[in-house]
Amino acid sequence: MARFVIRRLITMVLMLIVISFVTFLLFIVALPGGNPAALIAGRLATPAEVHLISVRYGFDKPIWVQYVRTMANLFDGSAYSYQEGFNVMGAITRGAPATLSLSIGAGVFWLLSSIGLGTLAAVRSGRYTDRVLTVLSMVGVSMPPFLLGAVLIYYVSYKAGVLPINGYISFTVSPWQWFRHLIGPWITLSVLFIGFYSRVLRGSILDAQGEDYVRTARAKGLSERRVLVRHILRMSLLPIISLWGLDIAQVIGGGAILTESVWGLHGIGQLAFNAIGAFDTVTLLAIVLLTAICVVVMSALVDILYAVLDPRIRLG
Amino acid sequence: MRNHLKRSVRPVLATVVGAAAVASAIAASATAKTTAHAAASTTITLLSGVGPQSLDPSLDYTTQGAEINWEVYTGLDTYAHKSGLAGTKLIPALATGLPVISNGGKTYTVTLRKGLKFSNGDPVVASDFTFTMERSLSIPWGGASTFLTPYVVGAAAYADHKAKTISGVKTDNATGKIVIHLTQAYGPFDNVLAFPMLGLQDPKTVTVPFKVQATNPPAGVGPFKVTNITPGVSFDVVPNKYWKALPGIPAAKYTFEEKINSNVEANALSVLNNSADIFDWADTIPGSLLPQIKAKAASRYKLINLGGSVYYFFLNQSEAPFNNQLAREAVAAGINEAALSREGSGTLAPACFFLPPGIPGHPSAKCPYSWGTGNLKLAQKLLKESGQANVPITVYSELRSPRLQWCTTYAQELKAIGFKHVTLKTNADQTYFTTIGESKKLHPQTGFADWNEDFPNPVDFYGTQLEGSSITPTNNLNFGQVNNAHVNQQIAKLGTTPTTDLGKVVKQWQALDEYVAAHVNILPFGYQTFPFFTSSRIKVNYTNDIYGWDLLGISLK
Repeated sequence: MARFVIRRLITMVLMLIVISFVTFLLFIVALPGGNPAALIAGRLATPAEVHLISVRYGFDKPIWVQYVRTMANLFDGSAYSYQEGFNVMGAITRGAPATLSLSIGAGVFWLLSSIGLGTLAAVRSGRYTDRVLTVLSMVGVSMPPFLLGAVLIYYVSYKAGVLPINGYISFTVSPWQWFRHLIGPWITLSVLFIGFYSRVLRGSILDAQGEDYVRTARAKGLSERRVLVRHILRMSLLPIISLWGLDIAQVIGGGAILTESVWGLHGIGQLAFNAIGAFDTVTLLAIVLLTAICVVVMSALVDILYAVLDPRIRLG
Repeated sequence: MRNHLKRSVRPVLATVVGAAAVASAIAASATAKTTAHAAASTTITLLSGVGPQSLDPSLDYTTQGAEINWEVYTGLDTYAHKSGLAGTKLIPALATGLPVISNGGKTYTVTLRKGLKFSNGDPVVASDFTFTMERSLSIPWGGASTFLTPYVVGAAAYADHKAKTISGVKTDNATGKIVIHLTQAYGPFDNVLAFPMLGLQDPKTVTVPFKVQATNPPAGVGPFKVTNITPGVSFDVVPNKYWKALPGIPAAKYTFEEKINSNVEANALSVLNNSADIFDWADTIPGSLLPQIKAKAASRYKLINLGGSVYYFFLNQSEAPFNNQLAREAVAAGINEAALSREGSGTLAPACFFLPPGIPGHPSAKCPYSWGTGNLKLAQKLLKESGQANVPITVYSELRSPRLQWCTTYAQELKAIGFKHVTLKTNADQTYFTTIGESKKLHPQTGFADWNEDFPNPVDFYGTQLEGSSITPTNNLNFGQVNNAHVNQQIAKLGTTPTTDLGKVVKQWQALDEYVAAHVNILPFGYQTFPFFTSSRIKVNYTNDIYGWDLLGISLK
């Protein structure tokens, strides 16, 4: 286990260096439209003013100096948005509660729902229920979150008045309002994943039914419920857990851009949306790094969970 | 197997379905308390699709920021709190009177009112003006190189770190006298004094060395102050208890909460169902919602032409085909402004003159060349006469809607007129203007551009975009590279007239604008009208043609 953790940590650091450098090159050096100083200076700036900004922000320095300085600023919390002047780590910290509320709630919802629906589809394979669930899954997978969000906002929030139209209320302010404000975003974010995961799980369960260990379990006289839950489902969940780990990491790292923007949650995803809109390179760099960290950490946790679910897998 | 599994799976299904049912029931039982909540609150909620760049006035150069900051950082002079053209009139604010202009328009003198206090209670002194200008030059404010460094003596040296203070600004704290020396006469300098970035800032609340204070901007002097700032999310605008009403500038009564949400459709729905109060005028209401809003909330929705913004296509006159007058006339006759307006949810008012209706000098004459009517016959005839049909044309466009749609339609119209090789080239919104500002490297021929007034003076439009001397190799704003001797001469002559004396030269500005239209130096295709949409509990007593919403003019019914 120790070797596994050390190996993972080294991989994580190397990955972060590569990702951050590529992102840095993309947004600072190869910026479409040219000089980042001109972008910061704005539409009316003179060449002299652009030059002054270039000197002030260090865009006149060699690339590696710029990179090291930017990364140092990000990690010691002193990085500021070039365009709007706010502290980047402060903005991420402020957005984190909304993003965590969205991603963890939706993650649990889509995982449980897809286990339920995927199992039902497998059990009812080839029957009417399976066909209906197949169609619904396809609809879910094909439904872009911004469209589903807009439909929910119009019909459920505005027309029916059941949910708030948008916004986020902190759990500490009002747990009830926190919950109400997140129902719509949870559904919006989950539907696509439920559709996809339930199809994967269905296929996995159907594949597992013919495995030797299932036959052995039945031969031992175990009840079908026990065979399903302890043997078939346990093994069939492996691909689901793997997917879930990566998806939830990406969502925590600001990947739910559309859901957060449509519902006005002001989490890390919406911060990313605004940063893209403003070409706010420092903020974008910080969010990309956060996503990378989340993905690496979650994939390590998934590997550990693999070993728990499947005794044949050993870490090391 | 299947039957057995079916029984096994029931508990799982029951749990999922049960959880969903409970969630729905809980949500349904809530029955949207939001409306009632909004109705009970005395805080007025303003929803904005795009927030200010910053609430620090020394950085912000956006309409969304100015809309708030002009009443938080009130200048030595400011604009009257009245609707329509009356609201574009300068009135004294922190100064006892409008600036006294002397020395051939090169010296501005004002005296600070006595007893003024910042929003934290600190007393105001005249030297705070120099401090504020120094900070705005240092941050730097986006308009500094256009409105300050070329004109204020010593401002350029200070901005370049070659001087420790601005030599052209002299203040006397004992008398409150402020004297500003300019390098040359600049007519709209009294408008510059009304910019929020020159509204006085309390040095005691400023971080030195200067840096942007995004969440704790300096204390200012004005009817309101800003608190609880979460950048990009929300902030509160609350009455400043240290502000005493001045002639024409009342004290504030209400607290406003501005929430920023990029989903403008949700914003419009929130105002429509009265769970929020104000839809920001700078956002566009989605066309799909307009019929519903007009049907259900006609009394609280209207389109207003603020009068100070123009959309146009630039025509590069330094090279073919648009160095040919007939080719330009052909385009003017061939574009169809009604079609372009439809692409923008019908929010464009027809245009042919560069100066919008709210700017002194806007002509009352008829448009030349059947301008904007889509008169293809005339356009094709003119193009044929010009002999420019075979010149390849690239149309530049931003990506955002409806600008891309406008440029797509424009490119199609150019083809319909008879130009044989027309290509549409798009560029990211954030880098669009710096890209087409590469006048020497890129040679952009034609494309989208716009201008929103900084202040109601025609030189704000002409000085940057039609004056020959404003053509620069990078960050160029004179996209059409217009360098016409008559235009240059008139701008130089009329641009020195102080805003307060514009009435004396308004006919000459009108003549110049008609001249520019006759020569098709620039191709305006619409003046933007803006949505003013509020909840049913709001009363709008007046708006402002320059800043849009005037928070002092908004009250609860």
